[in-house]
Amino acid sequence: MSKKIFIDFKRCIGCRACEVACEMEHGEARIRVFEFPDLTTIPFNCRHCEKAPCLEVCPTGALYRDQDGAVAFDPLKCIGCLMCAVACPFGVPKIDEVNKIMDKCDLCSERRAEGKLPACVSSCPTEALKFGEINELLWDREGSFVSRLKEARERGEKEPIYLL
Amino acid sequence: MEELVPVVCPWCSVGCRLYIVSVNGHPRKIEWDYDHPNTPNKGKLCPKGVASYQFTISPDRLKKPLIKRNGKFEEVSWEEAIRYVAQKFKEIIEEHGPEALAFLGSERCSLEDNYVLQKLARALGTNNVEFAGRLCQSSNFVARSKVFGSPAQTNPFEDIVKSKVILVWGYNPAETNPVLFGQYFEKALDNGAKIIVVDPIKTKTAKFADIHLQPYPGTDLAVALAMLNYIIKNELYDRKFVEERTDNFEELAKSVEEYTPEWAEKVSEVPAGMIKRAAELLATGGNATIVLNEGVNQHANGTMTALAIANLIAITGNIGKEGVFSGVIPGAHCGLCAAVPGVNCAQLPGPVPLNEENAKKFSELWGFEVPRKPGLHYQAIFKAMAEGKMKGIFIMGQNPARSLANSSLIEEALEKAFVVVSDIFPTETTKFADVILPAASWYEKTGTVITQNRRVMRSFKAVKPPGEAKPDWEILVMLARELGVGEYFNYSSVDDILREINRAIPALKGATPERLNSNLEGCFYPCPDEKSETPRLFLNGFPTKTGRAQLAPVKWIQPGEVPDEEYPLWLTNFRQVGHFHTGTMSMRSKSLIKRWPEGFLMINPEDAKALGIRDGDRVRVETRRGSLVVRAMVTDRIRKGVVAMPWHWGVNFLTKDDAIDEFSKMPELKAVTCRVTKEVVE
Repeated sequence: MSKKIFIDFKRCIGCRACEVACEMEHGEARIRVFEFPDLTTIPFNCRHCEKAPCLEVCPTGALYRDQDGAVAFDPLKCIGCLMCAVACPFGVPKIDEVNKIMDKCDLCSERRAEGKLPACVSSCPTEALKFGEINELLWDREGSFVSRLKEARERGEKEPIYLL
Repeated sequence: MEELVPVVCPWCSVGCRLYIVSVNGHPRKIEWDYDHPNTPNKGKLCPKGVASYQFTISPDRLKKPLIKRNGKFEEVSWEEAIRYVAQKFKEIIEEHGPEALAFLGSERCSLEDNYVLQKLARALGTNNVEFAGRLCQSSNFVARSKVFGSPAQTNPFEDIVKSKVILVWGYNPAETNPVLFGQYFEKALDNGAKIIVVDPIKTKTAKFADIHLQPYPGTDLAVALAMLNYIIKNELYDRKFVEERTDNFEELAKSVEEYTPEWAEKVSEVPAGMIKRAAELLATGGNATIVLNEGVNQHANGTMTALAIANLIAITGNIGKEGVFSGVIPGAHCGLCAAVPGVNCAQLPGPVPLNEENAKKFSELWGFEVPRKPGLHYQAIFKAMAEGKMKGIFIMGQNPARSLANSSLIEEALEKAFVVVSDIFPTETTKFADVILPAASWYEKTGTVITQNRRVMRSFKAVKPPGEAKPDWEILVMLARELGVGEYFNYSSVDDILREINRAIPALKGATPERLNSNLEGCFYPCPDEKSETPRLFLNGFPTKTGRAQLAPVKWIQPGEVPDEEYPLWLTNFRQVGHFHTGTMSMRSKSLIKRWPEGFLMINPEDAKALGIRDGDRVRVETRRGSLVVRAMVTDRIRKGVVAMPWHWGVNFLTKDDAIDEFSKMPELKAVTCRVTKEVVE
């Protein structure tokens, strides 16, 4: 199973601690919080897709999958051809104009090697960002949804929607 | 050599622990502290915390003492600067008496720094010693002291999670204290708690609200009175608690008889039905967390609103047990480190009131006569200065030229006195200084903090101070020696000072250097001995004369200004998550200023349309005191008739200094009237 950062955007308060933490770790923030006029805020980073288009089109093998399942990145092999950016449906890989290579989230390889959480997850004050085995996180979410459904029924609420 | 130094975050008062990874005294990065699960933040940090060492390495740091000669600052040695200050202070004392001197302490400096500062002021014979707490929690401080006998936060943060109802009044924890909101408020919501928010702005906290009341700024008092009225009239209050643990219920009930929700609707424009729903939920929804902050405090009727809310807490029985939460929320990490050692014109360390008995006690402890005459409060110090009566001032880590109401008047006052500023950066205030002393910043010294949760913790020196900068207590001790009172200031380390504090303040007796240095999670104040601490207050009674909560009658007081034809809009101000107070530190943190780059004006689409203003237009905001030009943000997050600005960018040029709360001396900072016009660029 692979480890991912799961985003529970309803918990997010748009404080941008993740952005600053990423910037302090990597020099440039690889995660960005998008804010909407209705105060919805969504932090968004590389999804580390299971069938990652960027990885498949990378001509030099600079992008590779590491032992935790992250789409990681070898800067020495990158030629800055932008193919990964073309293939990515989310627009995640960005060009580092100083070094003429691409730059993207690698789930903080160095921190993971030391047994630490990625910087953005370490910081997130609301736990809107969660790091772990993805299906375990999803089981947790399903479980909490069902328990609320039950509670709502016990309270006699008719339409237990909006529960996430 | 690389080391991991444990520190406490230097911004808000939640008291988050983190590590600085320090290489030979230079900060390389921060690391989250997941090793101490009982600290308030459990490892988590907000953006300010993550970026917290950036400002310490700013090239703007003050590195050498400076003396102003012929209008220019010249670098001098420490000896020369201290000798010059001491000589000037001696001249002032000889000519005008010690009461022509004032000392400002700081919520940005440690417990030890503040203790030494107030002791020096008193050794010289003046009680003119204040800090910005006067502009912060003083309203709630006065109100809660009156009702409960103590203003402190009652319960540990864990009890917020156990609450079933959360009432957030004039407070936006999602931006002011993101870690507190994420780790405790949101977890209470997970457990099914309902949240009521009172704020004219739809804040990030209001996004989570079940009931959001949007009164006009300064009229929340009406809403609070109406909630009291509704709860009492419909007998929704906690009868058992009121009978067993409170006094004066009848007087309170009588005082709110006329303030019906319908009356409050006329004053505040909050629908009466919503006030009733909120009151009902608060009174019947179960254990409640009731928190208020500057939106309530910073008004000329702030104490009365805080008093009404304290009454609400008492009659709904949400105090003195487990699973409830309320209390003051200082803005800065060391607000209580200045309040507890008596950096106050009418209090001595403890804090205890300045009276004959206490003055005698401290005279014996310190070995010099403590002056008996109360000093001047913050705003009055500057008023006296403008009148030429206050001749000299020592300002430690404060920026009154921006933090006090009606800034231009404060600037005029500063020009008339001998001003000594010890700070880490040039500020708006240092422009008016005669001597500037470079201070060590938070990570550059070891010191003790008391967080809003009454947790006493140690933060350690992680970084070398730049140039010749020194910790504030060292500067004060040098000054004391030069002024001839050195015999009372025999300290060679912060531990020496803390040991004296252990003796001077009984409630801190158990917070010894040994305990705090070895136990990073600290202990809950009061801690009368080395083994004990007090996580929950008032379980067995209140520190009042009868041991019961003293309910206090309340009445309606008009805000300092109300809109008229000339100035038709309400102007209020708020805090952004990425900035802190006057921005001295946060605006020098590159990750923060990049994301929160400038001030703006929030205006409702209807108001904007009537004034011909579109999103992004430059507008002039004008009050009776001054005007500022900012960009407009047209948004329905703010109610009609009200405009709002983040206060970090000089908003106090617009605020009102002559409407002052009669109980807490708080100026009207949050509700003034203004007019907005589109700025035409020629």
